[in-house]
Amino acid sequence: MKNSSDKKYSIEISQKEAEEIRNAIKAASLKVMDEYIERMKKSWPNRPEAMQYFYDIAKFFGTREREIQEAKEEGKKVIGYTCMLAPIELILAADAIPVRVSSGFYDPVKLGNRIVPVEVCPVVRSTIGVEMIGLSPYLKLSDALITPLTCDGMTKLSEILSDSKPVWTLYPPRLKDSEQSMFFWREELRTLKAKIEKLTRTKITAKKLKAAIEIMHKATRAFRRLQEIRKDAPVIMGRDAMLVNQTSMWDDIKRWTEKTEELCNELERRIREKVWACPPDTPRVMIAGSPAIWPDNWKLPNLVEEASPQGVIVADELCSGDRFLFDPVGVDEWTMDDMFKAVAERYLLPSTCPCFTSEDGNKDRVNWLTARIEERRVDGVIYHVFRGCMLYAMEYMRIKRVLDKINVPVYYLDTDYTREDVGQIKTRVEAFLEMLKSRVEF
Amino acid sequence: MIVAGLDMGVQNVKVVLLKDGEILSHGMVPSGFEPEKAVEQAFQEALKKAGIACSDIKYVAATGVGVELAPRVDCKISVVSADAKAAVYMYPSARTVIDVGAEESRVIKCDEKGVVLDFALNERCAAGAGAFLEAMARALEVKLEDMGKLSLKAKGTTSISATCVIFGESDVVSLIHKQEPKHEIARAIYDALAERIVSMVHRVGLKPDVVLVGGVAKDIGFAAALKRKLETEILIPKNPEYAGALGAALYAMENLGGSRK
Repeated sequence: MKNSSDKKYSIEISQKEAEEIRNAIKAASLKVMDEYIERMKKSWPNRPEAMQYFYDIAKFFGTREREIQEAKEEGKKVIGYTCMLAPIELILAADAIPVRVSSGFYDPVKLGNRIVPVEVCPVVRSTIGVEMIGLSPYLKLSDALITPLTCDGMTKLSEILSDSKPVWTLYPPRLKDSEQSMFFWREELRTLKAKIEKLTRTKITAKKLKAAIEIMHKATRAFRRLQEIRKDAPVIMGRDAMLVNQTSMWDDIKRWTEKTEELCNELERRIREKVWACPPDTPRVMIAGSPAIWPDNWKLPNLVEEASPQGVIVADELCSGDRFLFDPVGVDEWTMDDMFKAVAERYLLPSTCPCFTSEDGNKDRVNWLTARIEERRVDGVIYHVFRGCMLYAMEYMRIKRVLDKINVPVYYLDTDYTREDVGQIKTRVEAFLEMLKSRVEF
Repeated sequence: MIVAGLDMGVQNVKVVLLKDGEILSHGMVPSGFEPEKAVEQAFQEALKKAGIACSDIKYVAATGVGVELAPRVDCKISVVSADAKAAVYMYPSARTVIDVGAEESRVIKCDEKGVVLDFALNERCAAGAGAFLEAMARALEVKLEDMGKLSLKAKGTTSISATCVIFGESDVVSLIHKQEPKHEIARAIYDALAERIVSMVHRVGLKPDVVLVGGVAKDIGFAAALKRKLETEILIPKNPEYAGALGAALYAMENLGGSRK
């Protein structure tokens, strides 16, 4: 622990105050999670048994927290990451536990405001607040953090978090498709690998890396299978699929894979038997833009699937969702060099984050969006942007132009980590769904 | 067949009664703290003007930001769809609808049937709506109803930024200190609001004919500023503040399978 005088940003608050706030927010969050899960169950009454596992893991404080705690006591290391550009295979290959730590809690934002201005993106402000009071078990249990410097917010967040934990930055080149970029990125990951090895005192050998890649291949297969299922008439509500996707970020990935396969077995049976989760003519919505992170920031998914007229989320383009495990590491030969190269490519090239650009203006993101819209038969896109999330906000026009051309309506929804705007957003979401519905009927 | 449309606005509750697709009467009452009472009064007003009894109304559709508070309604419709329906009913050539209300403004693109194709709303900020004008009139120490006429005398020698109501107010105060003529400041106020609306229009795409509705449409200063900034003709109905309620009433009629005779 550093002295407060050594700190770059004073993120200290008295232990007593931290404890009081933590207990209050934790109690409120437990209620919110229970309430949201109940609401999800209510809008999908005939859900399969296999879903229960994910509701349990979603409860954040509890089973999984204890598991990680115990693993740590046995000497395992926990490596947190703030963004999906962090290479999970390298963490697994060092026998460490990967957990994503970017926060979806609303209330800690107020604490974050003590350090950064309110104009800063709420994910960053909330993550700062969560760290100040030790709210998130996963952030608290992390021995070190991987912080990709994707946007300005994430860059400074990395500095702020470094006051309390070892932080390993990763600097992604914003132009992906050049040999120098790839070379640079591989070197970044090589440095990271050495840091992981040092912390875990585990050498990442070819055998270990291969095993880690294979674990993630299986996870990707299960993940893709679930998304594939969402192409059809809805047999799973979007919120539930999003929750399954998101639990992969703190659950044991092997167990998560098994449970997801179980869920998919059941869902595929339902496709054959035509047991729909909601009427097949329900407008099919995609959410694009800033991440929707469990638990508090389930605002938009809740609104879409509880609105009148109702919508169903059949796809998202969020780094907290459909994009997370979408791409497998493509290995040619199982040599250390080749595997390492493949891991580096997997995390840079397919990323559709708006922090990237190219001569044709982040074409990868456009292609990803249009491909998903087509395969999942999306009726309309809600473009979700946090206040202060400049990159997604600025790229909106680019995306709107493309979607206008293929005649897919898109609505720009501006929000923050607050509950106060639910009424306003509801008006907008319902108007959008009404519009989709009237188009579907024509 | 008589149906009613109810618009639960931020400032006013509005009612429109339709008989066989023709407008029978209007009613408007400030929303206040007791929405149920306001609705009751607005209905009474409209019923009295039409000379009919409450039991003559077959069906009620509601819209507006306070729609959840509406008592005893048969169905609900969003303000966006309601505006589009009303605009095309009043002007069959309407393709872009601009609605500037007390705290919300919207731009809607629609087709010839009044089906919404695209829309935008002012995002969580009153600087793009009527409340902005109220605050600015206060700062300028003129009555809101006089500010429009005042602004028409101006040549456009100054400007203010309307990024926020609070900052707008301090802009106005500093112009007053600089002894800028009142009518010029008034015009700058309208220009600032119109600018915000125009950027929403361009996000959605401008397609004539353009119809302006909502309470602020009655303000000649704003209408003039919007026309200047959009560089196009704007159609303004006689009772623009009733557009939402009219749209809801039309929706009620559709739901009962009726149409305009």
